[in-house]
Amino acid sequence: MDKNGSYLVTAPKQEKGTPMADTQIATINFKEEALRLLPEGASFEACLTCGLCSSGCPASGIENMDPRKFIRMAELGMDVELSTTPWVWCCTQCKRCHHVCPMNIDISQLVFLARSNWPEDKKPSGIVRSCQMILATDSTSAMGLPPADFVFVVDDVLQEVRATQPAFQHLQAPMDKQGAHFFVNQNSREPMSEPDEMVPLWKIFHLVGADWTYSSKGWAAENFCMFSGNETAWYEVIKKRVDAVNELGCQVWLNTECGHSYYTMWQGVKRFNLTANFRLESLITYYARWIREGKLPVNSKWNTKGIKFTVQDPCMIVRKAYGDAIAEDMRFVTRALVGEENFIDMQPNRSANYCCGGGGGFLQAGMTEHRRTYGKRKFDQIAATGAAYVLTPCHNCHSQMEDIGHFYGGNYGVVHFWTLICLSLGILGDNERTYLGPDLLELLD
Amino acid sequence: MNPPPPRKGTKPGKTILETEVLIIGGGVTGAGIMRDLALRGVHSILIDKRDLCAGASGGNHGLLHSGARYVASDLHSAGECRQENQLLKRLAPQCIEQTGGLFVAVDGDDPQFAEQFPTLCRGAGILCEELTVSEAKRLEPHLSDKLIKAFRVPDATVDPFRLALENVDHSRVINGSIYCPHTELLGFERVGDVIHAAVCRDNRANTQLTIRAGQYINAGGAWAMNIARLAACNDVHLLYSKGTLLISHDRMTHHVINRLRHPGDGDILVPGGTVSVLGTTSTRTDDLENVRPTVAEIDLNIQEGSAMIPALAGARYIRAFSRVRPLLQSTGNTDDRGAARGFVLLDHATQGLTNFCTITGGKLTTFRLMAEKTCDLVTARLGKQEACKTSTVPLPHGEACRWTEPGAAPKYWFKANNPDDMILCECEMVPQSAIDQIVQCAPGIEEEMTLEAIALRSRAGKGPCQGSFCGIRICSYLYDRGYYRDTTGLEHMRNFFNERFKGQRTVIWGQQAAQMELAEALHCGLLGLDTLENH
Amino acid sequence: MKEETRNFTTQLAIIGSGIAGFAASIFAVNRKIATAQIGNTGAVAYTTGYLDLLGKMDGAQAAVNDPWQALEQLRKSQSNHPLSRVAVADIHRGFNEFTAFLGECGIAYSQPEKRNITALTPVGTLKQTLCVPATMAAGPRAFAAKKPCVIIDFIGLKGFSGRQVVANLQDRWPNLGTQRIAFPDMVHGEIYPEVMARALEVPATREKLAYTLKNAAGQAKVIGLPAILGMHCPDHVRAELERLTGLEIFEIPTMPPSVPGIRLRELFEQVLPKKGVTLIPQQKVTALDFDDRGATLSLFDSYGPIRIQAQTVILATGRFLSGGLEAHPDGIREHLLDLPVTQPADRTHWYHDRYTDPRGHAIHRAGIEIDDTFRPLRLDGRPYSDRLFAAGIIIAHQDWIRGRSGAGIAIATAFRAVAEAERYLLAETNPEKRV
Repeated sequence: MDKNGSYLVTAPKQEKGTPMADTQIATINFKEEALRLLPEGASFEACLTCGLCSSGCPASGIENMDPRKFIRMAELGMDVELSTTPWVWCCTQCKRCHHVCPMNIDISQLVFLARSNWPEDKKPSGIVRSCQMILATDSTSAMGLPPADFVFVVDDVLQEVRATQPAFQHLQAPMDKQGAHFFVNQNSREPMSEPDEMVPLWKIFHLVGADWTYSSKGWAAENFCMFSGNETAWYEVIKKRVDAVNELGCQVWLNTECGHSYYTMWQGVKRFNLTANFRLESLITYYARWIREGKLPVNSKWNTKGIKFTVQDPCMIVRKAYGDAIAEDMRFVTRALVGEENFIDMQPNRSANYCCGGGGGFLQAGMTEHRRTYGKRKFDQIAATGAAYVLTPCHNCHSQMEDIGHFYGGNYGVVHFWTLICLSLGILGDNERTYLGPDLLELLD
Repeated sequence: MNPPPPRKGTKPGKTILETEVLIIGGGVTGAGIMRDLALRGVHSILIDKRDLCAGASGGNHGLLHSGARYVASDLHSAGECRQENQLLKRLAPQCIEQTGGLFVAVDGDDPQFAEQFPTLCRGAGILCEELTVSEAKRLEPHLSDKLIKAFRVPDATVDPFRLALENVDHSRVINGSIYCPHTELLGFERVGDVIHAAVCRDNRANTQLTIRAGQYINAGGAWAMNIARLAACNDVHLLYSKGTLLISHDRMTHHVINRLRHPGDGDILVPGGTVSVLGTTSTRTDDLENVRPTVAEIDLNIQEGSAMIPALAGARYIRAFSRVRPLLQSTGNTDDRGAARGFVLLDHATQGLTNFCTITGGKLTTFRLMAEKTCDLVTARLGKQEACKTSTVPLPHGEACRWTEPGAAPKYWFKANNPDDMILCECEMVPQSAIDQIVQCAPGIEEEMTLEAIALRSRAGKGPCQGSFCGIRICSYLYDRGYYRDTTGLEHMRNFFNERFKGQRTVIWGQQAAQMELAEALHCGLLGLDTLENH
Repeated sequence: MKEETRNFTTQLAIIGSGIAGFAASIFAVNRKIATAQIGNTGAVAYTTGYLDLLGKMDGAQAAVNDPWQALEQLRKSQSNHPLSRVAVADIHRGFNEFTAFLGECGIAYSQPEKRNITALTPVGTLKQTLCVPATMAAGPRAFAAKKPCVIIDFIGLKGFSGRQVVANLQDRWPNLGTQRIAFPDMVHGEIYPEVMARALEVPATREKLAYTLKNAAGQAKVIGLPAILGMHCPDHVRAELERLTGLEIFEIPTMPPSVPGIRLRELFEQVLPKKGVTLIPQQKVTALDFDDRGATLSLFDSYGPIRIQAQTVILATGRFLSGGLEAHPDGIREHLLDLPVTQPADRTHWYHDRYTDPRGHAIHRAGIEIDDTFRPLRLDGRPYSDRLFAAGIIIAHQDWIRGRSGAGIAIATAFRAVAEAERYLLAETNPEKRV
């Protein structure tokens, strides 16, 4: 675990994806698979070879590959090379190439296929292990936190807050509450490594009077089974989660500040044709709604020093799912929190945003050098804003941006929305300030 | 490396080259003759008014016949094909893909023809195995549902460009024989029964040169009659048949697919690496210089071809080309396809010449045999005893000859894993290092190669964008390396696009129309190549 | 989980996201018309940044120096050319409005002048165009004055060679030289202009590059770079580099994938929603139906089905590259409504034999017919719908490529189409005002 307690798995060194065992990687016929998987007129043979995909891809050049080369190699029948290139673990399947392609060609689906084709013992072990962990308990937690432990941690933290923060002596963190409106998921990183980080979120729910619950089953957000290309496992994870929500009879599955958890659930329900008697929603949308409705009376008066903030759009909820609508919500919330003049948009942004390099399981793949090469573009974009903090509702983005910040000598921090909301409202507890730098801490004193 | 003679700055008529044999015509036959002679210790110069395989050698299916195609019409040719097919597979494997071939009949085709086919093959000694309809469909899923009969034969595919390049390259290695591109024969200096010299023009430098040889070989293919007449020989009688073929973006089949019927339009589909070649049509023509595909020929090929392979009707095509095939007039046959497919070697003794001969007719598959027969005559005339060695000596791999093979460049590049060796042709993934090697040591190099000449020696410009992007990148790279130095580089670029366009003109629809619109906007709208003045 | 159709209503729906579509959105926004715009914005990235009006008369070899006079000429010789169907004053207004908008939103442009600008190309040829981005303006000036100048190129950047530019311009620009440099921190492997442009938005990268540039410039006071001067604030990047180097700096557009086009795409994608436009990029309209009350557009995005109810529609779907027109072996068809397409008799006549034939190819003159109020016509010569207007190069009787008139046609026709849509909306809202 890194110093911030994120789940950077220190897998055996595997920088170039060197094989660890003797199992062979089967050869995929990529050209045929592209024809099968992609819409007519937008398959690989529609490629004009203009290179817009590669020009705007942070994985270009890694392993000497890029999206255009991927297409051309498929068309030229270099199936063995494509089936075995570790580049598929460096492509985060962020779909930016698809977004900028005048012909609408989607390469990420074939990257997923290539990943799924690798024998389990050759896949990056960090991703595989995280998937195994998810499957190991009813929690579906990549860190293997069993339901009972989750229930214990939540209750333990809750009791402490009630005892130490008088304003929140009636704070609730309901567990397995039948018929609650919101089923709230949680990234395992909080209960496992930094449990106090759950508290700001509970406070927000408390303030707006939300009818919500955690579940002891299927509560976890992350899904490394999707990243590992293991479709069966992906299904099992989503099935467990969908069942958990259906069982509690909640109306909304509310995704907290985690990017891929939304995408994997939303895609999974569609892909596996699951019956979900509830809506899938993102917490960001509700932050925006509650602020608009006056239920979260945040303001930016606290930001007396004019500290600058920018926003990282998680690919998984913006470009790959909701589109720009949720990006606008994120900006609305940010502006309300830090002040219009203190928000500097990163370029490019919204659906055209660059993946930071934390997605697709890259953080867990053990390919540190490649991941940082990938992340250099994001580092530059953050640097260009001159912002002191990046806000992002995604744990992978969070960890990656912190890591590249340290590695390339940046001097920005990365914060969750919930932290800043409570800060603005003046209700951020002493133990809930992990991600605040001295400039922000100073304002709190 | 033995560079071609310097031509820059030569004064008209002053350059004189000497050799034992001058070969006129850089098709596969001329290239094969060059190597055959070299292996017998004879030095030669090979000239072509354009470049290697500019005529029928480069404008065909790339089919290495098993001979089965001719069992009904020309048993002799069938036998020659069978023999040469087996030889080349063994001696020049780098130029050949052993795809195997299918002969297929669909509902409506003459059942009697199909019935006789295996017997005829057996008679010609050609392996022929009947497949059930379902076996054939399993081997080739794109085959029509109306399939009624299928046979498998040992057809294969051959890359005529690689074949010619390797032959020329090996000749240089053996004894320094010389290939001169864009060198056109203007006339002969004939005194009595002997030709003393050939007067030629370098079509790029626009200078004259004289080549003196002991023997002169006319391997001009469709141009053979015209060349013979320059030597006052009137015994070559050719008719010209124009054939049009087209190239699909995707490889449609694993095998060569032949229609099991009397040869007709659009009845052969030959895979060529990552693409397929469909053809051909056949029409009489008098024009040797301006042969271009017509829309009607393209549509006819597709219509006929889709009877065998229905997917051809909706396929993306990237290119079409036409070539003229010489037909030997003596046969008097009215059906050009039915005409004997054999070759003819004329010693011109009846024309009063002792050091000039003409080889023409034949086909790609029998090029080696044609060269052998020609060289037997020529070496005898030179008074040499050496026997032909091309039926036993394998064709070596020339380093700079490998780039015409589809997929070879990307495989080499991927393995080398050198990020600084950037890809210039993205479609076919041709890296800088391939271009470097071609301009440094490919057969036919000269001080300033054109982009067309480089493309002929590589896969550059052969992919879906048909050179529209890589033409710019390669040109810019060559400027960069100081290889192009003035505005002629842009002319090379423009000429390259014009040349590529010839092949695209009739197949621009669907995806290709989008590709072309972007290309023209770039080439004309931005770069202004439509208003480029010639230097 | 239910997939709900998202519904939008709007006064004007613009189908197509090329220059014509975006110009139409800008004009509509400026006229306070509620607007939705749909279409894949990808191909905008192919534009060079140069805004051509009319650079060459059809069939002529010589370039057009005075486009306004050439427009008058065009009006006489080709009255059905789309540029002949828009008043010259409107074309001027359209260009002014379009470039002013870009300027306000972060990409400053030169104003349309009396004469065309002689601009530089990446291979060292020259091109006539009307307006150039401010980042490129110093190039034509330096060329006109024959100032000593160094063209910079970069290790790892394909398709742009300073030597090539110099080799082709040296006769006309004696004091032109070239230098090859490495981009800061990117010494190995391929490097895309887009990557360099984004990196140059970081002050530290600019400082490093400025140091190298100063050395490379030698005695010259002007340097030309491939177009890499920043992505979303190019004028600032150029100003900063000029400040740091003390040199005058200009950009030359590069072959795709090039920065000036990506700049425009990102600007449009960001700015128009801020101005209230419902922009649905990366998607294509699958159906367009008209009834008495308006038009209904159907489409899908990754999130599900979308339906847009619009009072008026502008069709700006472009040609073959963007999918507005489809070339089939047996003829050219309009994709969305199957509008009749004026075209050559058959495929034989689409192209001349020679690619660079100065006459241009007949296929490019194919397109849809419009009436004087820019409404697409049916076969019988009647408008397809009173609510439907057309803009851009989908309109017949022009060759935008050879005429160097792509942006001109897009902006001029969008200007007119929006004016006509506005007239219709006004009449529908206030029937008594109907003239």
